[in-house]
Amino acid sequence: MIHNNLAMMFRERAERVQAVTASVHNMDDVFRYVIDQTLKENGNTIVAPDLDALQLQKLEDLCQASGLRLLHPPFRNHTGDIHTALTGANWAISETGTLVLDSGSEDIRIATMLSETHIAWISASRIAPDASALAAYLRGKMASPPGYMAFITGPSRTADIERVLAIGVHGPQRLHILVMEDDPS
Amino acid sequence: MIQTAQDMKTYRKKIHKALGNQFLRKALDNFASSYKASRVKAFEGIDLEALRCRIADNKDHALPHLESLFQQFKEKAEAAGAVVHLAATAAEANDIIAQIARDNGVRAIVKSKSMTAEEIHLNDHLEAEGFTVTETDLGEWIIQLRHEGPSHMVMPAIHLSRRQVGGLFTDVTGRPVDLEDIDRMVKVARKELRPAFLAADMGVSGANFAIADTGTIGLVTNEGNARLTTTLPRVHVALVGLDKLLPNLEAALDILKILPRNATGQALTSYVTWITGAVECAASSTGKKILHIVFLDNGRLALARDPVFSEALRCIRCGACANVCPVYGKVGGHALGHVYIGAIGLILTYFYHGKNNDRAIVRNCLNCQACKSVCPAHIDLPYLIKQVYGNVLKDDGVKPAKNTILSFAMKNRKLFHGMLRMASVLQKPIVQKDAGVLRHLPFVFGKSQDFRTLPALAETPFREQWPSLRPRISEPVYRVALFGGCLVDFVSPEQAVALMKLLTVHHVQMEYPMGQTCCGLPAVMMAETETAVEVAIQNLQAMSPCQYDYILVLCASCGSHLKEGYRRLLASKPELAETLKTFQSKIMDFSSFMVNVLKVDPQKFVQTHTSVAYHSPCHLCRGLGVTREPRELLRTAGLNYIPCADEDVCCGFGGSYSLDFPEISAAILNQKLDHVESTGAEILVTDCPGCVLQLRGGMNQRGGRVRVRHIAEVVAENLKPR
Ligand code: SF4
Ligand code: SF4
Repeated sequence: MIHNNLAMMFRERAERVQAVTASVHNMDDVFRYVIDQTLKENGNTIVAPDLDALQLQKLEDLCQASGLRLLHPPFRNHTGDIHTALTGANWAISETGTLVLDSGSEDIRIATMLSETHIAWISASRIAPDASALAAYLRGKMASPPGYMAFITGPSRTADIERVLAIGVHGPQRLHILVMEDDPS
Repeated sequence: MIQTAQDMKTYRKKIHKALGNQFLRKALDNFASSYKASRVKAFEGIDLEALRCRIADNKDHALPHLESLFQQFKEKAEAAGAVVHLAATAAEANDIIAQIARDNGVRAIVKSKSMTAEEIHLNDHLEAEGFTVTETDLGEWIIQLRHEGPSHMVMPAIHLSRRQVGGLFTDVTGRPVDLEDIDRMVKVARKELRPAFLAADMGVSGANFAIADTGTIGLVTNEGNARLTTTLPRVHVALVGLDKLLPNLEAALDILKILPRNATGQALTSYVTWITGAVECAASSTGKKILHIVFLDNGRLALARDPVFSEALRCIRCGACANVCPVYGKVGGHALGHVYIGAIGLILTYFYHGKNNDRAIVRNCLNCQACKSVCPAHIDLPYLIKQVYGNVLKDDGVKPAKNTILSFAMKNRKLFHGMLRMASVLQKPIVQKDAGVLRHLPFVFGKSQDFRTLPALAETPFREQWPSLRPRISEPVYRVALFGGCLVDFVSPEQAVALMKLLTVHHVQMEYPMGQTCCGLPAVMMAETETAVEVAIQNLQAMSPCQYDYILVLCASCGSHLKEGYRRLLASKPELAETLKTFQSKIMDFSSFMVNVLKVDPQKFVQTHTSVAYHSPCHLCRGLGVTREPRELLRTAGLNYIPCADEDVCCGFGGSYSLDFPEISAAILNQKLDHVESTGAEILVTDCPGCVLQLRGGMNQRGGRVRVRHIAEVVAENLKPR
């Protein structure tokens, strides 16, 4: 129940800042979503830096079936042609609609920064009420360096010209968040 | 590149030009109103006051220990693979960063937004050393291409229109850019800047936080350029002011909760990045990022030890003090700052960029307290601005003539009051009798003061009327003293007469202690602290606070100065502490006394339902925190109060400010009067004789039909005849 409330608020807050949210039940749903979204946007490449080998193979098969390309690391070799990045998130923050993503791996960073569309999934049980509720987790990460921790709240934005909100100035132009209602583990 | 006026003459020219920029005026107007609304919304459900106090406390605890926090940070960050430097001066920081670039064979550099880099003019230095530097924050890129400085700390290009940006992008790309389509322009920047990121060998960022106990830096951004800057190039240099050091993550999370909300009304920015040590980086030969963190002192350590000014280092660079500043709203950041702009800019410029750059701009403050009321770090900005002004005067060793005259006269009450009496005789030939205004202004004021009529001095000041007016109430419910202040006493005694009438009806014995003199605020405004202290002591003695239940004020500025200002001024006089405490506990503004103490009854008033608009004086609503009582009193007294836009925005008076900066004063005043006229109210009511002077003078000059009255007068007039 409490997860549900946090998840609801999380989704509402994320959508306020132009993220798109959806609920999913398992990784198959996630993969379907990623493929469909990429096709809808006429993209043709996908990266998925944090999947295990088995899941990666599954996604690759799905990509092939849809005429899409799954790119392989290191992503520095693909900086110009990443359309969709699929990642998990370590935590989410309900108060602000934020994803918390351990980005120590360069491939995760490049994927989430240089893609056109970032799709992230998060288990509903890992949505915290606010940032201070994650202080212990963050402190733990910072105490075992090196580390690069990212809070991501909506897609890249700017209001630098006449204070008009414009999306997608440097980072992803779209952010989709898939909340997994049943923890797959 | 940044050219800040170093004398008043040049500065007034610059202001004149800024005021003539219609786009700027409109953009800043829109911004001011939308900012205020979104800020309020962003803090819904948050205990803002508790958070502000925590931030101020955390900062105050960190500031005396910056050196040890730095040592701790250095140890942790270096253990995690970073190299940590400390630059004593701007030049040293520039040299260190250029050296890092040379040592690593760097040619191209990308930068994400950093006010600290602006502070040391890093780009100029790196370019002179032969490096290519590209700003990647959209606003910063735009101003870099235009070779100018930021006009706002958070929105550096807010002074430019889409058409100007579109034109610029057309020139830069050599391809036509639609001058209306902002989305397209943003995509142009995305496309143009991507290759710069990919080609860069080094990224330079700032940092919003430096967390000592883990050696972590935190970056708060919206565009995502800081992420690219810190990820793609093999070298990352973070330039961080020493004041950004915090003991731990918790202190940073508190700031994070307030910073975006107070800056732009966002709950959180798109990206917050926490970097600890050298993370993996395939572009570097070691596979690890080459990370250098350069801390900048440039006067901060000395500032941190300063008993008065250390407070300025609490600043978290949210930019809010500009957003709400009525002066900023009229002239923009290029005319209200050097590198750092807005209220905090008027202060920091002196310490980071020298007195010459601060000399003129530091005077451009109305003391309206708007900045102070939104500062998340509880910095007493207007107070510090006046203190810095005092330093500039001291350093320069020359004072404006009016300072010398004012100080000389004010220190001796009899002389001061004698001069005012004499002036009221001398003005006779130019007084327009029936209107009580000067027909034309004495030449000393000059043409620039034409935006308002000035009132004539009263023929008989209140203090001379008092002996024959003094009522004698048998068995009074309260005994109160009126602190009149110069304007009530010498310009508008009718306001005091109205008060007397109301008090008498309510069986309150009023007294007017004759030894009272100017409250001393004008001296503070001119940075004549010594004089301000002397008159404060005179008033403290003259008002003999023990004898009265309350000391009433009709002037909000006097009231807030007596109550809050004296605390600072007399802090070094422990022998007065007891009297001061009693004095301050008894000060009360007119409306609060009527509503909260006398609990006036609507039955006592004729319900005329005359429509009135209300101007909330800065020193009443922000200085004394009184907002409900005057509005309630108007209703109780049978008037029909009509809310008006921006009631709590300054009227532009600011005492001697309006003599120094008449054009800005006029612009602020006229906007206020426009708002008032659009309510259709018959009367504009306020509770400060200074505001009355400004508003009535402006209304007269424009031939408006709204009458401007002090609240005591309109309330007294509605008393039922007995
Ligand atoms: S006191 Fe008013 S005029 Fe002065 S800097 Fe602050 S907001 Fe601006
Ligand atoms: S002085 Fe206060 S309001 Fe101004 S930028 Fe700094 S923190 Fe923000």
